Amino acid sequence: MGTARRLILVLIVLIALASSTAYYATEMSLRGVPVRERVMGWLAVGLTSSVCALVMVIIWRSLGKTVQIVRHQLSLLEGSGEVGLIMVDSHDELGMLVQEFNHYLTRIKSRFEQVKLQKRELDIQIRVADVEKKHTEAIIFSISDAVVVTDSFDELVLANEAAERTFGFRMSECYRQPVGQVIRDPQFVRLISDARGENMEHRRRVVEYSGKVEGQPRSFNVTLSGVMDSKGRCNGVVAVMHDVTREKEIAAMKTDFVSNVSHELRTPLSSIKAYVEMLVDGEAEDEQTRREFYDIIQNETDRLGRLIDNILNISRIESGVIRINKQPLALTSVIKDALEVAKPQAAAKQIELIDQLSVVCHQVNADRDMLYQAVLNLLSNAIKYTPAGGSVTVRSVSDDARHLVRVEVKDTGVGLSPEDQAHIFEKFYRVEASKNMAKGTGLGLSLVKHIIETVHEGEMGVFSRLGQGSTFYFQLRLCD
Amino acid sequence: MSKRIMVVDDEAHILHVVSLKLRNAGYEVQTAGDGEEALELALAEPPDLLITDYHMPVMNGVQLCSQLRAHEQLKSIPAVMLTARGYALEPEDMEKTGILTLLSKPFSPRELLAVVQQVLEGNGVAQGAE
Repeated sequence: MGTARRLILVLIVLIALASSTAYYATEMSLRGVPVRERVMGWLAVGLTSSVCALVMVIIWRSLGKTVQIVRHQLSLLEGSGEVGLIMVDSHDELGMLVQEFNHYLTRIKSRFEQVKLQKRELDIQIRVADVEKKHTEAIIFSISDAVVVTDSFDELVLANEAAERTFGFRMSECYRQPVGQVIRDPQFVRLISDARGENMEHRRRVVEYSGKVEGQPRSFNVTLSGVMDSKGRCNGVVAVMHDVTREKEIAAMKTDFVSNVSHELRTPLSSIKAYVEMLVDGEAEDEQTRREFYDIIQNETDRLGRLIDNILNISRIESGVIRINKQPLALTSVIKDALEVAKPQAAAKQIELIDQLSVVCHQVNADRDMLYQAVLNLLSNAIKYTPAGGSVTVRSVSDDARHLVRVEVKDTGVGLSPEDQAHIFEKFYRVEASKNMAKGTGLGLSLVKHIIETVHEGEMGVFSRLGQGSTFYFQLRLCD
Repeated sequence: MSKRIMVVDDEAHILHVVSLKLRNAGYEVQTAGDGEEALELALAEPPDLLITDYHMPVMNGVQLCSQLRAHEQLKSIPAVMLTARGYALEPEDMEKTGILTLLSKPFSPRELLAVVQQVLEGNGVAQGAE
């Protein structure tokens, strides 16, 4: 029987008792029953009421106990964070309620298990995605080209160090900021928004872009790729900027070089052709003129040969295929030979060649032909870039402590700016300011440096001030 | 009176050989090593024809011809240009600078003489017609 019914029954009994007691007491007093008997009646009523109250208390305590069990189990479940069932050994309404509640809990529990499983899967996916993200970032950060990644709102989501340097911002401060606010170059920002807006059928496009990096103009090839979702919508843009400034410079230098070389080759060739034709046509009337023509032809042929040697040697040294024939030789004699050959060139410009070579015979282990060419190139350069009437001095000094010999070629020419000194030994480099003074290929000094440093493990350098002449020097190790 | 020709080149050998060829052909020859010197000499005594190299220090051959044309008395001097770079000029530029012919180096003195004779004769006729 249910608790409620039990309570109602007890209540009805109590009410019945109370009303019958009241009726009995009234009857008794009307009939004039003595007080002792009336007391007996009251006692009977009191006893019955006490029994009823006792029964109520028992019922109430059993109910409280069940509630206590349920509460205890609930608090245990709460502490465990699990979903479990509540066990109650009772078949009254509360037991039934708990049973219903347990059905409901069973459903929740199975749903809870499902969610837990899904959560575990998601956790794994997140970890995988995180690792992949780190990989992608590592790849992007290791690229020397600048990489900028934007989202569908043209906000910056990723950029590597090269990009930070190129545009002068810090990614940590600019995450998810509009790219137009971070990169202050409207031209580049337009490239990105255009790439996103386009229905990028090919998904990849390379455009040329030139901007300033740290105040210096630079050229880039920018590869723009759309980040497409499964529905073919563009969710962002990846821009990879390949700096082609140096490549362009080299290409320009090469074009310049080919043009210079062809000019340099044509000049002696023109003289040779012209003089030969004059001889053939009998334009040189006397023997002395003919003799003079023959000499010129010979000198010009040598000049042509030297030029071709320079070009070939530099490429041979660079590619490492040149045969080097090193042997102990007297440095002074090599320099004297070169001086002899440079004499006519100096005389033609009224330049005095001053020989201050040490009388001591410095023995070096060297390739005679190459060393000769190096010295001749230095002399010829000094004469070329010294105005008529100047002088070119050749000195040699030995540094016995360091077991070295040092050769200096000093001119009274135009001199070099610090900027030019930094580049003067680079292949194809020509000093802009003195380009007009003399013709050249931009190879001579580069070849000398190769000969001294690459072939002979020596040292080569220059001291110069604009307008105050230049001193080119090299140092070689003396023979033991 | 023989015609006066000015030869401008920074290569002494070219100056030598060209002037010899022209002198042998009966022309009077004046030489200059760069554009500035040429301009000075031309102003002092205008030549009948200018033979100039293109690639020279101070100023190139085209600049020299334009500068010559800036002077009233040197305006009508025809020019022949020698070039070692396969340099090409637009016909309008040639007309503007008075350059009649381009000869590429290495050139033949014989060919140069033929060009000079043709230009000077043509020039002579033109002057005579005026």
